[in-house]
Amino acid sequence: MTPPDSAQFPAESTSALQSHGVVIARALSQRVTTADGELAILSEVELAVKAGETLAITGASGSGKSTLLGLLAGLDQPSAGEIMLLGQRLGDLDEDARARLRAGRIGFVFQSFQLLPALSALENILLPLELAGRADASTRAAYWLDRVGLAARAAHTPRQLSGGEQQRVALARAFATDPEIVFADEPTGNLDADTGARIIELLFELNASAHTTLILVTHDEALAARCQRRLHLVAGQMREAAFA
Amino acid sequence: MTFARLGLWLLRRERASGEWRVLLLALIIGVGSVSTTGFLGDRIKRAMSEQGASFLGADLMVTSPRPIEDWPVPAVESGALATSQALEFASMVSRGDAFQLATLRAVDADYPLRGVVRIADRPFEPGAARPAQPPPGSIYVEPSLLPLLSASVGDSVKIGEATFRIAGIVAEEPGQLGGVFGLAPRVFLRADEVETTRVLQPGSRLTYLYQFAGEPEQLAAFSAAVKPALDSTQRLIGSREGVETLRGAFANADRYIQLTALISLLLSVAAIAIAAHHHALRHYDQAALLRCFGATTTQLRTLYAIQLLTLGLLGSLAGVAIGALTQQALAALILPGAVTRLPSLGLAPVGVAIASGLLALAGASLPALMRLIRVPPLRVLRRDLPPLPVAAWLSAAVSGSALLLLIAWYAGDAKLVGGFVGALIALVGVLILLARLALVAGRGVQRLSHGPLRFGLAQLLRHRFDSTLQLGAFTLALFLVALLALVRSDLIAGWQQQLPPQAPNYFLVNIAPHQQQAVAAYLSEHRLKASALYPMVRGRLVSKNGVSIAETLPEDARDSNTLRRELNLTWTATLPANNAILAGRWHGERRADAPVKAIPKVGNPLSAQADAELTPPAGAPLLSSDPSAEISVESGMAERLNLAIGDQLGFQVGDQTIAARITSIRSVKWDSMQPNFFVIFAPGQLDALPASAIASVYVPPDATDVLPGFVKAFPGITVLALDKLIANIEAVFAQIIGAIQLLLGFLLAAGMAVVVATLLASLDARQQEAVLLRTLGAQRAYLAKGLWSEFIALGLLAGLLASACAEIAMALIANRLFELPLRLHPWLWLVLPLGGALLVGMSGWLTTRHITRVPPMQSIRALN
Repeated sequence: MTPPDSAQFPAESTSALQSHGVVIARALSQRVTTADGELAILSEVELAVKAGETLAITGASGSGKSTLLGLLAGLDQPSAGEIMLLGQRLGDLDEDARARLRAGRIGFVFQSFQLLPALSALENILLPLELAGRADASTRAAYWLDRVGLAARAAHTPRQLSGGEQQRVALARAFATDPEIVFADEPTGNLDADTGARIIELLFELNASAHTTLILVTHDEALAARCQRRLHLVAGQMREAAFA
Repeated sequence: MTFARLGLWLLRRERASGEWRVLLLALIIGVGSVSTTGFLGDRIKRAMSEQGASFLGADLMVTSPRPIEDWPVPAVESGALATSQALEFASMVSRGDAFQLATLRAVDADYPLRGVVRIADRPFEPGAARPAQPPPGSIYVEPSLLPLLSASVGDSVKIGEATFRIAGIVAEEPGQLGGVFGLAPRVFLRADEVETTRVLQPGSRLTYLYQFAGEPEQLAAFSAAVKPALDSTQRLIGSREGVETLRGAFANADRYIQLTALISLLLSVAAIAIAAHHHALRHYDQAALLRCFGATTTQLRTLYAIQLLTLGLLGSLAGVAIGALTQQALAALILPGAVTRLPSLGLAPVGVAIASGLLALAGASLPALMRLIRVPPLRVLRRDLPPLPVAAWLSAAVSGSALLLLIAWYAGDAKLVGGFVGALIALVGVLILLARLALVAGRGVQRLSHGPLRFGLAQLLRHRFDSTLQLGAFTLALFLVALLALVRSDLIAGWQQQLPPQAPNYFLVNIAPHQQQAVAAYLSEHRLKASALYPMVRGRLVSKNGVSIAETLPEDARDSNTLRRELNLTWTATLPANNAILAGRWHGERRADAPVKAIPKVGNPLSAQADAELTPPAGAPLLSSDPSAEISVESGMAERLNLAIGDQLGFQVGDQTIAARITSIRSVKWDSMQPNFFVIFAPGQLDALPASAIASVYVPPDATDVLPGFVKAFPGITVLALDKLIANIEAVFAQIIGAIQLLLGFLLAAGMAVVVATLLASLDARQQEAVLLRTLGAQRAYLAKGLWSEFIALGLLAGLLASACAEIAMALIANRLFELPLRLHPWLWLVLPLGGALLVGMSGWLTTRHITRVPPMQSIRALN
């Protein structure tokens, strides 16, 4: 796949844009103002991810990986440039419209799992299903908990689960709504090597069977190597776009 | 799933969270406090209005200190209106050696025109509706009179010179919710038998009650005709007005009690605000996650609003339930004996209490929740990202207006709101200042200490904001509790102690002119020391320099008691011993120089030392328009009514008007236990008026057996025992203070809620610290000792501050209001700090103890 030619999205129809990918970023920059002046976190990032693709965003700490992930998922707004997410121009949407776009169509996996401590494993999976208004929420949640091998731990709260088990619940939660895209931020960052490897296996297995687009941030070489494509960031700038 | 349902679902799952518990608890305490007073106030108000005309005993009533012979209304003469007459006066009732002051109501056969009087055969039985007029030769009495006279139904008692049989107990009468604060129990006797008692003397305080009932048109015509004919000492009361007056008086007292309750609610607001703030802090991640999953601002707002509303309703309902229980206890304290006659619980206070709870909750927690829904979704990736700030003015406006609305609601009028808010701000300011000073002192102690104590004190000093808040809240609660206890014990004890040895302990009132010599003889025969004997005439101050007195005063000063009631006017040439001239010249001085024109002085028949003090009871002509008539006015009255030397005052005495010029202003030592007067005339102006006399006498403890003999010898003279009066006042005090103490229980609980809320808010940081310390090798006992040191220090400091505040407040009250000598209370400085240390120590330890028990590894995982 080649990046679009012009600096602007073509003005044609959404369907034409769709063909370029489910996530498209053009001339994406993020700057913050600090006491020492303006600091560029991301500069002129160009990116297009097609449906079903897997992309690893790699780079050293502070290279802007997580910032890019946040921007692509519509969690933040860029200082410059444009993003198309699932056919919608994010710049045209306000915070609430972006939230509505995410509901049920985008899944997340986080480094620190981000399970709600008051809810059981099953309820944590149930939460996005309920938010998306799925009628079969309960059965789906139970199905996905079983898929990650934790059916026996349904009533356990995150505190009663190990790190690896918590991340498995998080994976089930991310895939339970049949999302079109799953964003994962350092999914193995808080886990030991063995557990991390098992989580990677599970992540790719689920992704393959659900035909989901997967965009993940990592500095785990093994994990990045499993992705079809890799985007390497150095100080906020794209250095390399390698194909697997 | 709707977000409302999701909110409830999440709430249910988080119900065990500490913040929700504290928030709920604080709300229950606050609402419990306001609904306790709300319920009881409502019951009493409804008792008054539901009784309507029966409350007054008639449709209309005219009260007058003199009999009214001619009614300017044909309806009365023609009999178109039903009428009834009663006479009310105070007198002694005696049986054997026992005697008691009572309020006698002499009634005719038609009394009451509306409502019923229930007479029972035994005390505290419901009784049956019967005419209030007892059979000839008998009386009905209030149950409280029986034990005072060691009498029961069927026994005979003496009133004046007549003997009556107690024929029944007054179980219920119009206008009475039970003889609550009555010092003189009520007795019903026949109007036609008053004469036989011979207790009525010229100058006796009498009230004639004329009752009327009839058709509305006739009553309206009657009112219109009678009103202009009444003078300022007479009053026309409609059944509605009667209730309204009572309700007005009650509403005022009720309002202050409600405001006391409101303080607990406001203290709860502090606890709620802390808990809500901490709850929001802990839920930023949850909110961010929900946004990440696609929740919009409106959906989050719905979710948190429904949670808040649910908690608000739950807390308020539980508070109302507690209020419903405690109001019964409060009723038993305020209205013993009448509780069963109050209407059942009303629904109106439930609404008020729930609305108060929701308003308090909204004011306390909206700023925190407003931040919660403004959490950026990016926080899921960058945990340090704070919510978008909410404009400070917006939070302040939301909280401020909610709280102000709440205060305004309870205080009623703008002046009281202003006063309350002002006092509250001043109090908070003083408490913050004191708490800060105490913490500075704590720093000194910390430097000298070591080990766990040093660690505990360091905690206290590090969380300066929390500590200030906890100290302030707890100091306030302890201070108010202590102040009440002191007021109760000190004032009464102080007053009793302050009486000089051999100060008069009995007042003799209603001494008829013809009895004076005999009374003197009796007392000297029994070697009793009496004060000067002062003749008394009752009159009302009506004008100043020819203008109606009310018109000379600003609007808010017109309601003075001095203007509404009749004053006891006396005359003497000798300045009473406990009086001092502050301005002008005592009229007696000039009189002394004056030639023989002066009224011939007659020896005081009651006092051996004061022979020359008394002017004759009669003799000189009445000089009602004598422009040279002179009076001396008490300084407080002169100040209240804006009177000065040279002012010409007009008094209405009976149907005459007497003018006199102020020639001196006196200070009066009111607690001297001597007969004291606001206005003293120079001899010569009032002498011709019918007057009875008053005196005080000292009866040594071993000579009290003289008194029954005295009462038997002079049945018409009222003997007031000061120790009984003081005991009565003490009992009334105990009732009121008991009621307020019940409310202070809520305040203390609210103070503890503040402590727990602040501790919970710091629990995460404390746990992190404890984990670190334990990992570094600190033993559990070390941590536990550190925690105990911190909380005990906090409680001790709060107790010390509260002791200091209570001593200062008590000194001010004793000195300014009651002119009692300064007294310190060493026990207070022991009890309050110990009590504070115990309460704060317990609540603090219970809140935080588990952080010393959790294994470090588990804590680290939990914190991650």
